[in-house]
Amino acid sequence: MTDAPIAAPVPGSSLTEAIAERWVSLSMNSWPGAARPFLSEEKDPFRNPIGSTVRRNLHILAREVLGGMQEASVAPALDALVRLHAVQDLSPGDAVRFVFDLRTAIRERAGTVPETMHARIDSLALMAFSQYARCREQIFELRLREIRFRAECATR
Amino acid sequence: MPGTLVQIESKPPRGDWTDPHVEFRKGSICYSAAPKNLEYLGLPNPRVWQPLDADWKLPPDWKRILLEGMKDRLKKYRSFRLFMEICVRCGACADKCHFYLGSADPKNMPVMRAELMRSVYRRYFTLTGRLFGALAGARELTEDVVKEWFYYFYQCTECRRCSVFCPYGIDTAEITMMGRELLNLIGCNTNWILEPAANCFRMGNHLGIQPHGFKDSIDFAAEEASEITGLKIEVPIQRKGAEVLFVMPSADYFASPHYYTLLGYLMLFHEIGLDYTVSAYASEGGNFGLFSSHEMMKRLNAKIYEEARRLGVKWILGGECGHMWRVLHQYMDTMNGPADFLEVPVSPMTGTVFENTRSTKMVHICEFTADLIHHGRLRLDPSRNDHWNVTYHDSCNPARGMGLLEEPRYILNSVSRHFHEMPENTIREQTFCCGSGAGLGTDENLEMRLRGGFPRANAVKYVKEKYGVNLLTCICAIDKATLPTLLEYWVPGVEVAGVHELLGNALVMTGEKERTADLRGEPFAPARESEALHA
Repeated sequence: MTDAPIAAPVPGSSLTEAIAERWVSLSMNSWPGAARPFLSEEKDPFRNPIGSTVRRNLHILAREVLGGMQEASVAPALDALVRLHAVQDLSPGDAVRFVFDLRTAIRERAGTVPETMHARIDSLALMAFSQYARCREQIFELRLREIRFRAECATR
Repeated sequence: MPGTLVQIESKPPRGDWTDPHVEFRKGSICYSAAPKNLEYLGLPNPRVWQPLDADWKLPPDWKRILLEGMKDRLKKYRSFRLFMEICVRCGACADKCHFYLGSADPKNMPVMRAELMRSVYRRYFTLTGRLFGALAGARELTEDVVKEWFYYFYQCTECRRCSVFCPYGIDTAEITMMGRELLNLIGCNTNWILEPAANCFRMGNHLGIQPHGFKDSIDFAAEEASEITGLKIEVPIQRKGAEVLFVMPSADYFASPHYYTLLGYLMLFHEIGLDYTVSAYASEGGNFGLFSSHEMMKRLNAKIYEEARRLGVKWILGGECGHMWRVLHQYMDTMNGPADFLEVPVSPMTGTVFENTRSTKMVHICEFTADLIHHGRLRLDPSRNDHWNVTYHDSCNPARGMGLLEEPRYILNSVSRHFHEMPENTIREQTFCCGSGAGLGTDENLEMRLRGGFPRANAVKYVKEKYGVNLLTCICAIDKATLPTLLEYWVPGVEVAGVHELLGNALVMTGEKERTADLRGEPFAPARESEALHA
């Protein structure tokens, strides 16, 4: 998780930002077409919680994948995104496919995808899938807890 | 196989809005009402079915029933006809619904949700719709439309946030209410709404707790309040001639964290020596009739005035509840009033006349308590809540339904020293719903609730990260029941409490024993730690 940063693109550079923006744009395809202009354009994080969560965290992940890949930054950003997808009408595959969009974004904006980055994106995808499974488990645990509470009330 | 993976295309889940097809999926729908509950309430078409079934076993003349029902309501409610006619699709409401903001489903835009019904209205009740059909935005009423109505009208929490932004004042919640009324006519209803309604009709409260169970619960709470304070706290039950009838949501005496709020009420009433009583007959402030039909709402609400009349009280005090106050504030007076046998409420401690309740004769506990604090009638030690960094969630119905914005804040600022507001566009009249109101708060609907509650949780997360908030207070029983689940998923580490729980912590009672812990049994923060916590 703490590999040395790769040579290019440089984190924080305009190229990194361009890649991140393209990634945001590609990942918006997970959301219904009619909502995409709003999700993409509204910048107030409280008026547009989905759009701002997606943008903020994809930018963090882009900087990390292209930079230091620090787990302390990667894990919460990935969690925020996967947690959001885990409660939508998405298949498990579609819930984590945004990770692979990064490959396309890099290719489109930087020309090629360096080998190191392939490995990092694969690793990010595996982390995303693990997190997705954890979120789904948590949803069922929370549901079970509510059912248990109801049963306790009924037998009180 | 890798080839197949590469071909995965992401597509928008829904295309043309006029296509009524809806994919029902476990986790994001409420289950149907059990036939026994429909039978008990005398509602039509009791049967075994589920929204996931292909055949909903609608009555053979379902279309006639719906259209006649719509015609009746258009005639009866001017507001309904107006709301069907006047929308100009300006889009002001489009991005205001928490379900839209948490799911991005375009049919959750309030304008679009209303359009699901308006399109049918146009087809059958306007000339242009009859002549030009789809060209005039009209749609045929089909079984798929009925299913679509069920999906989306049981996905609106009737919170009315959208109506705050509508330049025409269209209340989309009322359109949802009409949609649900119509669906009820053909037996398309949910168990999470009708079971509490049936229980309430039979036993006086949502869970169907019998009178002796009610007494046990109240006695237990009185005993616990006595143990905490070292005082003998008693709760009069159905005492004729008391000055005040106190009505609370039943969750206050059987659920957690509501129960701590109940302890707070009991301690307050004891301290000020209020001449009051509670009643098993009116042991439910909540009214799940509001979520099915106006007739059902009226039947359940009638018990409050009836019991006030029977007991001969002067006025009614109501506890921390959400939609209870929507019903009491907006409908009770004309539904079951006027309560001309009651007196205009006057606080026996301060002499304040609650002019705003001149008609309903029913005062909100926050109005009552804020008035006591304002007149210096309570001794409070806010440092007893120093272990909490507090924020306040304006529960939709008290906030938007009756304008109760300042009183809870006044109390919180008096009983705690560390209160932080969430961002301006997420509180007061712009508050975000918990995502579980209006009868949607059931476990089988959890994923939808988590979507709908995301905008609220997002604002809580902000104050948690910025100020270290660890307690979300509110004055709604549904909030208290469902926000803990919501926060555990989205913002772990933030707990939920009622305003009167914090009041109970801070209240210094006459003759009380030394208190070292709050109502939950958590020790008060030692002075030094408290300073460090909030440094």
